[in-house]
Amino acid sequence: MNLEKVVFGFFVLLAATLNFGFFIGDIDRPELHNIYELMGAVVVNLIVVVLKFGDRTQMGAIHLATSLVASLQLIIAAAVWAYYNNADPMGISGADMSSVVSLSGGALFANIVSVVLLVIETASFRRT
Amino acid sequence: MSQHSTSLSLQAEDNAQSSTAVFLVLRRMRAPLLVLILTFSLSVFGMTLMPGRTPDGKPWTMDVFDSFYFMSYTASTIGYGEIPYPFSPAQRLWVTICIYLTVIAWAYAIGAVLALLGDKGFKTALSAQRFTRVVRHIREPFQLLVGFGQAGELLARSLDDMDRRLVAIDTDQSRIDALELASFHNDVPGHVGDGRNPEELIRAGLLNPYCSGVLALTNDDECNLAVVMTAALLRPDLPVVARTTSRSIAARMRDFGDPRIIDPFDLFGDELLLDVTAPDTARLINWLTSPAGKHLTPLPHTPGRGRWVVCGYGRFGRRLTEDLLRHHIPVTVITPTDDDLPEGVTHLRGDATHPDVLRHADLATAVALAAATDNDTSNLSMIVAARRENAGLFMVARQNQPVNAPLFHALHLDATLVPTQLVAREVAARIGDPLLWRFVEGARREDDAWSQHLLARLEHDCGENRPNLWQEHLDGTDNPPLASWLASGEGRLGDLLRDPDDRDERLHCVALLLKRSDQSVLAPDDDEVLRHGDRLLLAGTSDAQRDLDNTLGVAQLFEYAVRGHRVGSSWVWRTLSRRS
Repeated sequence: MNLEKVVFGFFVLLAATLNFGFFIGDIDRPELHNIYELMGAVVVNLIVVVLKFGDRTQMGAIHLATSLVASLQLIIAAAVWAYYNNADPMGISGADMSSVVSLSGGALFANIVSVVLLVIETASFRRT
Repeated sequence: MSQHSTSLSLQAEDNAQSSTAVFLVLRRMRAPLLVLILTFSLSVFGMTLMPGRTPDGKPWTMDVFDSFYFMSYTASTIGYGEIPYPFSPAQRLWVTICIYLTVIAWAYAIGAVLALLGDKGFKTALSAQRFTRVVRHIREPFQLLVGFGQAGELLARSLDDMDRRLVAIDTDQSRIDALELASFHNDVPGHVGDGRNPEELIRAGLLNPYCSGVLALTNDDECNLAVVMTAALLRPDLPVVARTTSRSIAARMRDFGDPRIIDPFDLFGDELLLDVTAPDTARLINWLTSPAGKHLTPLPHTPGRGRWVVCGYGRFGRRLTEDLLRHHIPVTVITPTDDDLPEGVTHLRGDATHPDVLRHADLATAVALAAATDNDTSNLSMIVAARRENAGLFMVARQNQPVNAPLFHALHLDATLVPTQLVAREVAARIGDPLLWRFVEGARREDDAWSQHLLARLEHDCGENRPNLWQEHLDGTDNPPLASWLASGEGRLGDLLRDPDDRDERLHCVALLLKRSDQSVLAPDDDEVLRHGDRLLLAGTSDAQRDLDNTLGVAQLFEYAVRGHRVGSSWVWRTLSRRS
């Protein structure tokens, strides 16, 4: 067993699960989407990006690309949330929250691709 | 199957080469970035948990955004203070912990970046990348020079003067540094690389379509052989020039295509014997290969016919002895070892630096002495000792170390073998002007009378300074009369060299060489019939060059100078003259 692979798989999955946890629930109800979950998703996604650095294979390149997409979407979601929550005098509305959640939904899709890649990589690994 | 996988791995390696530096940075930055992300997110998270109070005493905790903002400026040591409200003791406690945590993480990350910038491997990767990029973007023909040693530097200088482009690789970093310091007119990209490694040659542009030749001039025969092999296998169309002093290596090089082999010992022997056997030919060649405007040198001091004494029987001594014997010149060889000497050589066993040994060589009756050992000190002392015996001797010395040049110079020798200079001059002449080189090679085989005759013609037509040398390609695409004249099979060289102002005058130029596909005619005379596609190498004044260019380029001038027809340039005049 390779510890590096364990850590890698752990974070890739964690990124997807946290993302999913934030995403689930009625899209326009802010109280159903915990902001700490979003923060966790951002942090874990960034960690995954760094973990994927420096892998020169084709698989590694696509892995890195999916994580970059997910991180980008989540950071934008967090920025949108921070704007409506702090800067907008009206506070965060249902419409605002739904754009935050839909952005995180996009990130979730990228994270799922990441997990699928991980599974494919594992399945195609031949024991010699 | 196995072949398939090797080609794949080669390709992957090639791709990898181009982005090595980026991947190196990413890989090295993994740990610092992870530490940074973890400490940062921990601090932000903790900050949102710490209980605080608003100024009106209500319980308050920071939200994620405020906490991220606060941590960003605190961790980067900017520090705007406690916002939006003064902190509670619990918050301050957490901030204290965070400051140490995040500042250490930042310091670690920045330190890692700085260490990476100073890292030797990283620098090498960066410079390799830059070199690859520069070479890939060369858009004019260039020569790939392997080995930037003494000879390489001299050669680079003369090629640079001819406005030729070069790419150089050498195994020695200090030589590449020297290349960067040398002030060339053109940019000469250089990189540390071993010619034995095909990857390095490819990186230096071997596969680049603009690469027009490979020059293998390292001191290492094996390496030069490897370069010849690589070039012959990967780019069989390229001309290769390789330096070697070993005959077996030269034979192995000839197995791969048709490299031009430069052997400084052979070159020196050839030149020396040309001086001895055909001094005027030597003069002619030296004159024509020297810079334009140079005076013709007087006849060199030559030893005349007589016995030679060769001290030292190494690679050079052996070649010289063989060359001398081929010209039926008697030779005495002084060597301490018991080599199997060729027939007809007088062998004197002993160390030539010893005065008694030299005395036995009977220098008084000899005409020349060659100090040919591979030790400069021995060579110098032999020469001084020999001068004492016979001051009139023709002195030849082999100079092994470049640093000893002033000593050899001070002795006023008749000929000094400096391998690096010889190699550089020979290669520059060969690739500088291929037609001139054909002429030189042909002239070396001619006898002295032929050279005297040509020298007289050149001096008569062009004066005492070295004439301009230029080429003319006779294709007649822009000049229909020229094309039909060439096609007629009756066009003679003498007619072409008439003055377009007064056709009874001859232009002040001499045709040195006529090249027709693979054949060449040395110093063609006026009756030589010209054909379509011929190339001429001419020597003459710059006026003659301009006039000949006009004759070849302007139909009216051609009609007059070559055929004696005065043709008007207007349509009316041409129609009238055709009627009459």
